[in-house]
Parts: sequence; C-alpha cells; structure tokens
Amino acid sequence: MSDTAPKSNFMTRWRREPLLPEAGAGGAPLTAVIAVMSFLAVLAMAAVLIIHQSAGRWTAELQSEITVQIKGADQAEIAASASAAMRVLNDTPGVEEAILKSDDETAALLEPWLGKGNVRAFLNIPALIDVKVTPALRTDLDSLRQRLTAVAPGAALDDHAAWHNRLAMAAQSGQALAVLVFLLVMGAACAVSTFAARAGLAANHEIVSVLHLVGATDKFIASEVQRRFFILGFRGAIAGLAAAFAALAGAAYLLERGVGADSFLPQFTLGGWHALWLLTVPLATCLVTAFTARLTVLNTLHRQY
Amino acid sequence: MTKKQQIIRFENAGLAYAESAETLSDINLTLGEGEFRFLTGPSGAGKTSLLKMIYLAMRPTRGTLHLFGEDTIDAPREALPMLRRRIGVVFQEFRLLDHLTAFDNVALPMKVAGVNLNSYREDVSELLNWVGLGDRMDAKPPTLSGGEQQRVALARALVSKPDLILADEPTGNVDPAMSERIMKLFVELNKLGAAVIVATHDLHLVQTLGKPVLKISEGRVSRSPAAGGGA
Repeated sequence: MSDTAPKSNFMTRWRREPLLPEAGAGGAPLTAVIAVMSFLAVLAMAAVLIIHQSAGRWTAELQSEITVQIKGADQAEIAASASAAMRVLNDTPGVEEAILKSDDETAALLEPWLGKGNVRAFLNIPALIDVKVTPALRTDLDSLRQRLTAVAPGAALDDHAAWHNRLAMAAQSGQALAVLVFLLVMGAACAVSTFAARAGLAANHEIVSVLHLVGATDKFIASEVQRRFFILGFRGAIAGLAAAFAALAGAAYLLERGVGADSFLPQFTLGGWHALWLLTVPLATCLVTAFTARLTVLNTLHRQY
Repeated sequence: MTKKQQIIRFENAGLAYAESAETLSDINLTLGEGEFRFLTGPSGAGKTSLLKMIYLAMRPTRGTLHLFGEDTIDAPREALPMLRRRIGVVFQEFRLLDHLTAFDNVALPMKVAGVNLNSYREDVSELLNWVGLGDRMDAKPPTLSGGEQQRVALARALVSKPDLILADEPTGNVDPAMSERIMKLFVELNKLGAAVIVATHDLHLVQTLGKPVLKISEGRVSRSPAAGGGA
C-alpha cells in the first residue's frame, strides 16, 4: 500500500461524530416536549417543597400556642375570672408567655361580624388569653385545664388540635397530589421517549442494519441512542428548569406585591437546599429519558432484527 | 501437514423468502482458511442471497451453516456480532452512512468493536490513501462519485483485517485500472491467510485470475475448477 502521509484534518478526526444522526432521534420536537415535561415536573416539585415548608410553619405556630377563653354571667365576673386565670398561667411551669387581650383587641376581632360600636353594652364578650407553651406542657394540658376551671369556672382551653389536624391533612393531601403530578410527568416523559426511540429506529433502519453487519452489538447501538437522548433530554430539561424558575420568581413577586409578606398564603421563599432539590428534576428527566430510550432500543432490536 | 480450519460450512442448507419457494436449495459448501472463490451466475440467481447468509444478514431456513467452526443456526443472538467482526463485506450497493465522513465510514468496524481511535487512525488513513481517496477523507458519501463510494466501502471491509472477505460486485463502478488493483489486493490478502469470496459478472476477471469458481444456477450451487491462467 502507499506510504503517502495521511492528509487529514486532525480536529475533524478527533471530534467524535455521532453514529446516529440527530434528526433521527426526534431532534427539536423531542427537546421541546422534554422542556415542557421538565417545566411541569419542576413546578410539581416546587409545590411539594412550598407546601412542606408552609405546613411546617403553620403547624409549628399552632403547636406552640393555646387559647384560653373565659365566659361569665357579666363583665365583672369575666374580668375576675380572667385575672385568676392569668395568675394560674403565670405560675405554671412551661408557660412562656400569657397575654390577656384587651377589650379593644377583642372588639376588633368581632368587628367583621358585628360591626363597629359598643357591643359590650348588650353582649357579654368572653375574655381571650393567648398563651405560648413549651412542647412539654403541650403534651399534658389536662392538669392545666383542671386548675383553670377550678379558679375560673367559665374557662375553656383550646389547644388548636382540630385546626392542626386539618392543616396537616390538607398539607399531606397537597403534597401527595404534587408527588402524583410529578410521577405522572415522569411517566409521560417515559412514554414520549419510548415513542421517539421507536420512531428513531424506524427512521434509521438502514444505519442500524449496517452497524449490525459491521459487528455492532445491540448494547452498542442502545448506548448510542441513549447518549443521543441524554443530550436531547438535557437541553430540554435545562430549558424547562429555566422557564419554571422564571415562573416561580414571577409568582413570588406577584404574591408578595399583592397580599403582603404577612399573608396566611404560602411564601415563595425557597432556600439553597430547595434549589438543589429542584436541580435534581432536570437530571431525573434526562436519566428517565435516556434510560427509557435504551430499554426501548434493546427490546425493539431483540424483536425486530 | 496442518489441517486448514473450515471458515464456512453449509450442510443441506436452503433459503426461502417468506412463504415462497426456496431461492437457494441443497447448499453443501465448504471454504477453508486461505481459500479463494469466485461466485458467478446470472442476475437473480441468488449470489447476493448466498452472501447474505454468510455475513449473517439472513439465516438459512433449513440445513446448517457453520462459520469459523461455530454453528450459526443455534448460536445465541449475542454471539453473532463477534462472528460478523471477522468478516469484511463489500456490499454491492456500498451501504455507506451518508452522515459520516469517508474516514468515519472506514473506521466504523473499529469503532463498534470499541478499538481506541489512536490504534486505527493510521490504518484508516493508509487505506484511504491506497484507494486514492487520501484527499477526500472528510468528504461525505453523497458528495462522492459511485466509484469513490465503492472504494470507501472496500476500505471499510478491509480495515479490521478480517479472516473472511466477501465482495459483491466489487469492481462494478471502478475503472479497469482500479478494478485490477482491487482484485490484486484481494489476491494478496488471500495469500496472507484471508478466505475470499468475490461475486462477479466479470468473466474476464475470473479467467485472468484463474481461481476456483462457484456457480449458482436455478438456486443450486456447483463448483467449477480454476479457470484461465492464474494470478
């Protein structure tokens, strides 16, 4: 053979050409679909995190507070009972703070329903005491309840358990729904990847046939397809993540501007570890896309060739 | 005297497409290490079908086929790529990958075998130079002429130094000078130990080289002694 020196462009030689053309693996349409999937999956994951964070904050507040309500035949009796109850509370270990609401504060609470005016002239409005307690005291409120009723027969202690349970249930339902949406999106990504991999194999039938004839194994071809799908999935997933971050930032801005930071509605403040969780979503999308494509190719080649 | 290894052994093999009658029947054929055969016959006689069975694109519908001593009928699917890597095929229709350069097409058997690029870069370049395409290494098949594509296909078949070379009309699109060079290359590779089967219509070529001939007629393979003068 000739001993002529090879005339080759080294960089062209060095660059690894994909053995399957990009268009055959779905190309831009697949990237766009994966971007949408990733966008929805990131929003679902963000919903899980926000609900978890908000529920934690709400339940922590409810756990540390109890309310004592004191009724009586007239305002004098209510005032005397409230003073007695305050003494008991202040002498109880585990009570961090007890604040008797003033008449004005109590009236302000009723204002939305009864309107402005001297409602005390015709109603015996109960006294309200907000109490902050330690977790240890919260586990044993019965003795406190007994001591309160001993000095103030009209006292009723509300430990907010009903609210707490309802909130926990609502939070768990919300989280379960968001996880379900996340899993459905991942399932849809699997289905799309399967369809695209099959279409890619059909479109590249001749190439796959030549690869087999020069000695390629099914695993080699599956790895080529997997690599291609990972790249397409990565592009789409990053685009979806960026769009989701933009949507979340926009929602946080509008929420804060519209209802204020003290709202009962969830805060869109996601910390560093939240961002890490969200970053796992595009990675999961890529892996699901690529791995599904690999399995599809192996399965299809085994049946077809 | 060392007994030659049997590279190909057909026993009572037949090939039928779908439900139709057999295209090839009662094939009893052996090819030993370092042997050379021409394969001739009229168009549609079954030359390409016979080659397809040998390079494992199709399996015989009856009978047996052993390649390199291994039964291909009962071989697991995973075993076939290793057998195919020992066979270099020059397809009649070239079957180059249009999106790859001439260099990458020739390098394909090495890539799929997992060989490091540094180990075969020189071999690929040398082969492309030898077939006269040293300055077209980065060209893609659609930009090459039929003859150039055929030479790329030839280089791809030879790059892995196969034990068995199958060529289906390898000189159909090249000029007489290149045709002679290619046939001489097959003869040289045959002398180095590779078994070779060349399917051709070119009876002049068959006469010139004087190698044994397998004739296919009406779906049956018969053997003729060496014809002509020899190379």
